[in-house]
Amino acid sequence: MSLQTDSKSSATTMPRFEGDAKRYLRGLGGLTAFLIVWWIGAMMTQPSYLVPGPVASVRAFVDLFATSTAIVVPVLGSEMVLPTGLAHLAETLFHYVPGLLLGAGCGISLGLAMGWNGALDDWFRPLVRVLRPIPPLAWVVFAIVWFGIHHTGAAFIVFVGAFWINFYGAYGGVEGVSSDLTDAASTLGVERDLSMLKLVALPSAAPQVLTGFRTSIGRCWMIVVGAELFGAPGVGYEIINASNNLAMATSVAYMFLISLAFLCMDVGFRLVERSVLAWR
Amino acid sequence: MAMNKLSSTARESSQKISIRSVSKAYESTHALDEVSFSVSEGEFCCVVGPSGCGKTTLLRAIAGLDDPDSGSILVDGDPVTEPSLNRGMVFQEYALFPWRTVRGNIRFGLDRPACACADCEARVRELVDLVGLDGFEDAYPKELSGGMKQRVGIARALAVDPEILLMDEPFGSVDARTRDRLHAELLDIWAQTEQTVVFITHDIDEAVTLADRVVVMDADPGTVQSTISIDLERPRERTAHEFVDYVARIRDELGSPRDISQK
Repeated sequence: MSLQTDSKSSATTMPRFEGDAKRYLRGLGGLTAFLIVWWIGAMMTQPSYLVPGPVASVRAFVDLFATSTAIVVPVLGSEMVLPTGLAHLAETLFHYVPGLLLGAGCGISLGLAMGWNGALDDWFRPLVRVLRPIPPLAWVVFAIVWFGIHHTGAAFIVFVGAFWINFYGAYGGVEGVSSDLTDAASTLGVERDLSMLKLVALPSAAPQVLTGFRTSIGRCWMIVVGAELFGAPGVGYEIINASNNLAMATSVAYMFLISLAFLCMDVGFRLVERSVLAWR
Repeated sequence: MAMNKLSSTARESSQKISIRSVSKAYESTHALDEVSFSVSEGEFCCVVGPSGCGKTTLLRAIAGLDDPDSGSILVDGDPVTEPSLNRGMVFQEYALFPWRTVRGNIRFGLDRPACACADCEARVRELVDLVGLDGFEDAYPKELSGGMKQRVGIARALAVDPEILLMDEPFGSVDARTRDRLHAELLDIWAQTEQTVVFITHDIDEAVTLADRVVVMDADPGTVQSTISIDLERPRERTAHEFVDYVARIRDELGSPRDISQK
């Protein structure tokens, strides 16, 4: 039985590999076509700052790493000198990372608690219904009033964004735990509710919890740039700062930088996910 | 039925499981209506019946997973109120923990509440050997065929050495050849462990192959139609004259019109 499926899968390996190569080539073709359209479009547009061309943008990107900038590390208060691009990226991470981790931690905790405990769910569900639809950026006014628009304020907005995505990941995950599994566990000696949560509900919800977290990584990049457009330091602020000087190529360079940072985090987290969820 | 009730009261003390007038209703259906029968120590008891006759509900009640609306279930003379390690359960759809390996699944019960066995790893090895899964200790359930999954399910239930094994149509989703092999293996294990087995099925052949006694149930409301002792040497030959007679008799019972006086 298993032998049969083995031979079948090895038979399909070769064509699939060739198919992959073909798909990569197509992807490369799409990218090239885009670059050409962009390049021609930029050449034909006047004044030139309206659409900075690919060459100018790449040059601006390289320039981000040719100069250095000093930034202040929050909490420690010490100064740090880094290549300009990395310096501003670090500034963003100073509020992005704490906001994401704290938001994910709180969101997952509340999601698990509400998904697992019916009474708690009854208590908080209406509140969740009301608060959930508020876009995280709408909280910017309170971020400013409460914390000032600096690292703490921006972190707060990221927190709100990360909170809800992770909340729903955990909530849905725990709600979807199969009753067969909890039944099996109770016939095998799991008595306390907390043991059931730890031994059955959590591992069973792990895929959805991790998907929620991975989604929040991307969503929080959107939110963090939004928060920085209001003045918190970081790459988002640099995008608007450069455009104020009509250095649009530099804006594009920072956009690339965000895209790169997100890609790295996403790929890294996918690897973690794959190894944690090897059983899937 | 009346005779059956009489004999069960007479032998009450030696009964491992006594089911006494158990009723359970869901919104619109009478899943169980005044169901009474007993299972003696070391007996292999099969419960057959059409779908909707409440046989799974009954098994879950014995396991302590569901409470009956009325009536009681006694195990060793004590009423069942909650699940216990003493009553192992094997599920129709395996219910393996997908994030645990074969070893991790079998080990689950051994670690609850705390590892009480002298050498748990040795115990796990013993069980892997017993159900013939050598070499698959580190495989995840997704990598196993249906028959292998159910072997893990059986090993997991046996690990804590329960006195009673409750099986809910355990071989319903495996192919016919694998099922035959699993029947033989299960009977071997049963002979070795001397457990009391309650085995739910809708397959009459399966019941006659395995059981010391077959409890035939009727649906809507779920009642005990009759109980039939199978006096045949094991292993049993399906084409044998007596085997075919038993199957025909049970099929007759299942097909017969409901007798109102029984309720």
